[in-house]
Amino acid sequence: MNGRPPLLAARAAARRFGSRLALGPTDFELVEGESVALVGPNGAGKSTLLALLAGALEPSAGSVERRPGARIGWAPQRPAQYGRLSPRENLELFARLEAEEQPERSVQRLLEEFELPSDGVLAGELSVGNRQRLNLAIALLGDPDALLLDEPTAALDPEQRQRLWERLDTQREAGVALLFVTQHADEIERHAERVVALRDGAVAFAGPVAEYGELAPAG
Amino acid sequence: MNRIGLLLRKDGLILRRSPLLLGLLLAYPLLIALLVGLVAGYANAKPRVALVDEDGLPRFVTVGGHRFDVDKTIKRVSKDVKLVRLGRDEAQRELRSGKVVAVLTVPPGFIATLKGMVTSPKLEVQTARGIISSRVDEQVQALVYGLNRQLQTAYIATDLGYVRLILHGGQGSFLGREFTVLGLDGAEILLRRASGSQARQLRDFIRDARLALSQTGTALRATARPIEIQRAKSRGRTWALSADVQAYALGLTISFLALVLAAGSLAAERDENVAGRLARGLVSLGELVWAKVLLAALVALALGLGVSLVFGAIIQIGNVTGGEPWGRVPLLALGLLLAGAALGAVGALLGAIAREARTASLVALLVVLPIIFLGLVPQEIVPAAGWISDGLPFIHAVRFFSAALYDASPWGRLLREALWLCGLGTVFGLLARIGTRRLLA
Repeated sequence: MNGRPPLLAARAAARRFGSRLALGPTDFELVEGESVALVGPNGAGKSTLLALLAGALEPSAGSVERRPGARIGWAPQRPAQYGRLSPRENLELFARLEAEEQPERSVQRLLEEFELPSDGVLAGELSVGNRQRLNLAIALLGDPDALLLDEPTAALDPEQRQRLWERLDTQREAGVALLFVTQHADEIERHAERVVALRDGAVAFAGPVAEYGELAPAG
Repeated sequence: MNRIGLLLRKDGLILRRSPLLLGLLLAYPLLIALLVGLVAGYANAKPRVALVDEDGLPRFVTVGGHRFDVDKTIKRVSKDVKLVRLGRDEAQRELRSGKVVAVLTVPPGFIATLKGMVTSPKLEVQTARGIISSRVDEQVQALVYGLNRQLQTAYIATDLGYVRLILHGGQGSFLGREFTVLGLDGAEILLRRASGSQARQLRDFIRDARLALSQTGTALRATARPIEIQRAKSRGRTWALSADVQAYALGLTISFLALVLAAGSLAAERDENVAGRLARGLVSLGELVWAKVLLAALVALALGLGVSLVFGAIIQIGNVTGGEPWGRVPLLALGLLLAGAALGAVGALLGAIAREARTASLVALLVVLPIIFLGLVPQEIVPAAGWISDGLPFIHAVRFFSAALYDASPWGRLLREALWLCGLGTVFGLLARIGTRRLLA
């Protein structure tokens, strides 16, 4: 992993929901500044691995290690926000929970950056695209060292997708590591350095994008 | 502001933006309290009792020289029951179907036995099986007691007539047979002509007997009614303003509110997909439960104080005596907070188990009614209900409110109930904390 210490690491981390195994024992590392695409068919365990790494779920077996002091931003596939709060109120709440030093300023910056309506409309009344943008904006609170994004562009139109990637590239330039789930081959090629492919709750491939590109058409 | 404070402020904002939910949460328990009041009122209504007349009761009956209008007498003594005349078969049918709660049968020969005044005539009583049968027994006993009171006067008058015959002599009749009695007066006159020690002893006996028999009237009345009730003019509050009603209304209202609110708002964290976001280091699961418990406690405090202020104002305006509507408000506030928190912990547990806001609210509504009714069942009647109820916060909240508002020396009872509420709140809070992990699955 380029000799850099990992920000996040899964050590044989597995997760069961009742009797169903969502993710088998999985090893994974994310280091500073890198961008990793997580791919696989529906039900492969991508969202579960992301939630385990984010700390939103506890592993049923194995462990997840986080570098002390590392801050992680997480945007789940389904927007995680309060429908009866405005975008500003959502951002302010999570900014304060993230212990932002200047929550009002951070919130204003993100509202402008993600072109979100600040007041007068509740998050539950936003379009699907706007809700997804708010979801991503919340993930950026607290100056994260790593961003874990679950299909961040799924509900966005092409123009919004492009603008989102511009923002994420800016984050990457600032040293933020990126682990994103995607179903778009072009996003893997343009924005990832590595690919981890999951199938039936297990890692089916882990390696550079170029190698994955060679395997993907055959596989 | 700390993290629990932030969550509390968020929940307050969301609650304020859900006026329909808030309105329902306020109106529903008050409606239930009203319905419980109506049911309690109905419980005081007259039960329907069938009167089966197998003796062919005449319009008028003369007992011991007293003439009774049978219908009027029955009406006068059956104030606590609604007496309906039915045939034997119809009465039995209605008893089986529950349309009447008891059947009172006047057997053949009842009036003849009554008029004979030698043996007591018997009424047959059949009551329905069920929880109110004991109450029906009491009502029927009250009815027979009333009839006996009416007949006592006639019986005493008849007995005194016989005593007068013994004293003064004259014509009498018994069981239709006419007879003449010399009486003590006549015997004394006859003894005046006699002399000697035996005659003197008889004269002494007559004097003593006359003295003793002159007290017979008072003694008979006292024997018939060893203790008599003298009804004083009613004082104090009406039923609707009683201490129990206020304590139960407060308990019921905050139980609904705290349970539904805590259950719904905790499960809503999962519905909004926010539980995972919070749990990844922003807010611990324990803090999440605490926030819901505090939310329930604060809303219970606000609503409970509102209800008691309205109650206090009515008492003040109505110039009703008794109780401490204002002076004990701080104690009441403490009780509302403790009870709201304990009930909120139960609600949080339900929310964690249900995992979905709608299901959690429904489950809370389904659970709150048995909790309340368990608390309303007297422990002396169904001990098991009392034991179960002791393990839930509702009844302790009611006892706390009742003691805080009305007991002259409430401290012992308040301390005991406060400890119960704290203990139950801690147990249910810990269970909710364990259950909250389900929100992340």
